[in-house]
Amino acid sequence: MASGRPAADGSPRAGAVPSARRHRLLRLAVLGGGALLLLLLSPLLGTVPIPPLTVLDLFLNHLSGGFLFSDPCAGLGITATKCTAYGEIVWEARVPEVLLAVFAGASLGMAGGTLQGVFRNPLADPFLLGLSSGGTLGAAVVLVLHIGETEEYLFLPLFAFVGACATGLAILAVARGRFGSIETLLLVGVALSNLLSAILTLFLLYNPISSQQVYFWLLGGLGEATWIGDGVALGVLLVAGTLLALLGRDLNLLQLGHDVAQTAGVDSRRVRIDLILLASILTAVAVAFTGIIGFVGLVSPHVVRRLIGTDYRLVLPGSAAAGAGFLLIARDLSLVIFPTSVLPIGIFTAFAGVPFFLYLLYRSRAASPMGVAG
Amino acid sequence: MTLNPSPPPAARTVPIAWFAVALLVVAGVAVAATAGYYALRPTSTPGSIALTDDLGRNVTVPYDPSRVVVLSPSIVDTMYRLGLRSHIVGVDCYAPALGGISEDYSPDQVALWGLNSSMCVEIGPTFDFESLLNQTPQLVLASTIVSVESVEQITTTYHIPVVMLQPPTVNGVLVDVSMIGRIFGVESQANALNAQLSTELASAANAVGSLESFPTVLVTYDVDQNGYWTFGPDTFGQSLIELSGAANIAAAANGTFAYPELSGEQVLAADPAYLVYATGYGLTESTYANAPFWHDLTAVNDGNLTGIDSNWITEPDPTMILSGLPALIAAFHPST
Repeated sequence: MASGRPAADGSPRAGAVPSARRHRLLRLAVLGGGALLLLLLSPLLGTVPIPPLTVLDLFLNHLSGGFLFSDPCAGLGITATKCTAYGEIVWEARVPEVLLAVFAGASLGMAGGTLQGVFRNPLADPFLLGLSSGGTLGAAVVLVLHIGETEEYLFLPLFAFVGACATGLAILAVARGRFGSIETLLLVGVALSNLLSAILTLFLLYNPISSQQVYFWLLGGLGEATWIGDGVALGVLLVAGTLLALLGRDLNLLQLGHDVAQTAGVDSRRVRIDLILLASILTAVAVAFTGIIGFVGLVSPHVVRRLIGTDYRLVLPGSAAAGAGFLLIARDLSLVIFPTSVLPIGIFTAFAGVPFFLYLLYRSRAASPMGVAG
Repeated sequence: MTLNPSPPPAARTVPIAWFAVALLVVAGVAVAATAGYYALRPTSTPGSIALTDDLGRNVTVPYDPSRVVVLSPSIVDTMYRLGLRSHIVGVDCYAPALGGISEDYSPDQVALWGLNSSMCVEIGPTFDFESLLNQTPQLVLASTIVSVESVEQITTTYHIPVVMLQPPTVNGVLVDVSMIGRIFGVESQANALNAQLSTELASAANAVGSLESFPTVLVTYDVDQNGYWTFGPDTFGQSLIELSGAANIAAAANGTFAYPELSGEQVLAADPAYLVYATGYGLTESTYANAPFWHDLTAVNDGNLTGIDSNWITEPDPTMILSGLPALIAAFHPST
């Protein structure tokens, strides 16, 4: 350990000078600004070609309740019906989709950052640990057993929440006897993930009609975005994200080991439970509305640690910004390469993420990606 | 110096109760929002028709809509036969960048029905709602190749009525013909088409009615290294096979799955007397010849093997009755 006892603020880098912290904050701000810029530009891309200025006019027209840009399609030479359709495309399809990318990406990024910190393992993410499979299985239960029928729209996200959170609790319960062992938790998560995948496959085979819907969760996508879904996703992100941010200092201390954290007054067992459950909730909200989208929870925290160090008070919000930006880039990349099709977003998170991830690993092979905790 | 850990203060952790509170908040928001959304759904208006579709959904649709998106080849077939082609502004297709309209419709269907890529509404691998909205439809007619969740989104978010047409039996095709006739005000054409279909069904019943026993058959529409995909019980395919005077080996071999894949061992054990395979979409006899135990089957070795256009036997529509049923009877009862 380089710095001995932790600093009073819990930062692993006890000797960091104020200017270095300012630099890290500046980089965090740049990361957030980049995600915001992508958020503003992404609605310009879609499978139906609409001129960028028309997209902006339609958006402002809807946002102002028709007060601004009363004729947003002027000069396009299209019918009023078509213009109305364009308005629905922008307001009811594209904007909710882009916002969902932001909320789901931020949730997955934050969940990944949290899990990597808790398990002190750079490979830990919601998918490896089975939280995503648990959420997908929860959704599959609704579809295969026809729970709710007409209220399926409501039950799907709720059961995904239950599935992911139950998986997080199961990991903790199974490993409770040997809770001090990070390896045990990780292995239990991997084992549960495989079990849940097997059950899910059985569901797919058993009910081919529902399989089409379950298939959506397996492939992952943003196409089912709605304002309601976005509202729920934002609400969960704000609640769970804020709680996680408050636990950033404790997560820093966990990096120094159980004894040191205990000495500093942190109940490491309780904090781990809280962190894993919060990560489960964030994973669940992403899975409920987007299905399984890989790589976001894995890559985003790595990128952030490279940029702003290992202080989890910054890593967690940074991972949220990076996750949001990453998912937006994947969405936009898919539409640039295949402008007329909506392909599973997971393909493009891998396309965008793997080369960059390998580059990061190549650049940092001499140093541990987990900083002092590695 | 020895470290002496002090007891951890409880106030520093986030209590479990927070999680329950968070979940309750989310559930509450979701319930309220969904309830509000359902309350805003459109109700019946003058010039509209209330009906119950094949999935038991109560739907209110505009009378004789001029712009309709049809998300199933079988429904296009019915509408074309009823003279309603001009009402169709969009049809289902697979990712335009990968397969497009040719993935869901054969070249013959594209030519006969005058379809083109500008009508493409992408339903897979992910439903593209932009391509649907771009067609400005007043009504969507769909089968279960579209997920229930996508249907819910079309109706609740975009307020476009969706009628699901997925007849579970051959007779269900006639019900759907009547329903489409009612929606578009072409009841007389629908009755004429149903009379034609009824005549064909009666003819089939007459042809196989005197048989003392039905031969065992396998009707497969795809194969892979694991076995043969076919129609299970309670499907329109099973109904079609029964009407053609044959006993489906899948009905007994696997009673759990609607569209099961029979293993090579199961097919060999059942050893059907006749075998029909679906052609088109790249499927030929040589494709099926790669299936397990193909060359060991009695039907193959005795030449009781017939390829039939996939569109005739895999889509529950008038063509299935008018062309598929006679073709199956000819395949299973060559002497009649």
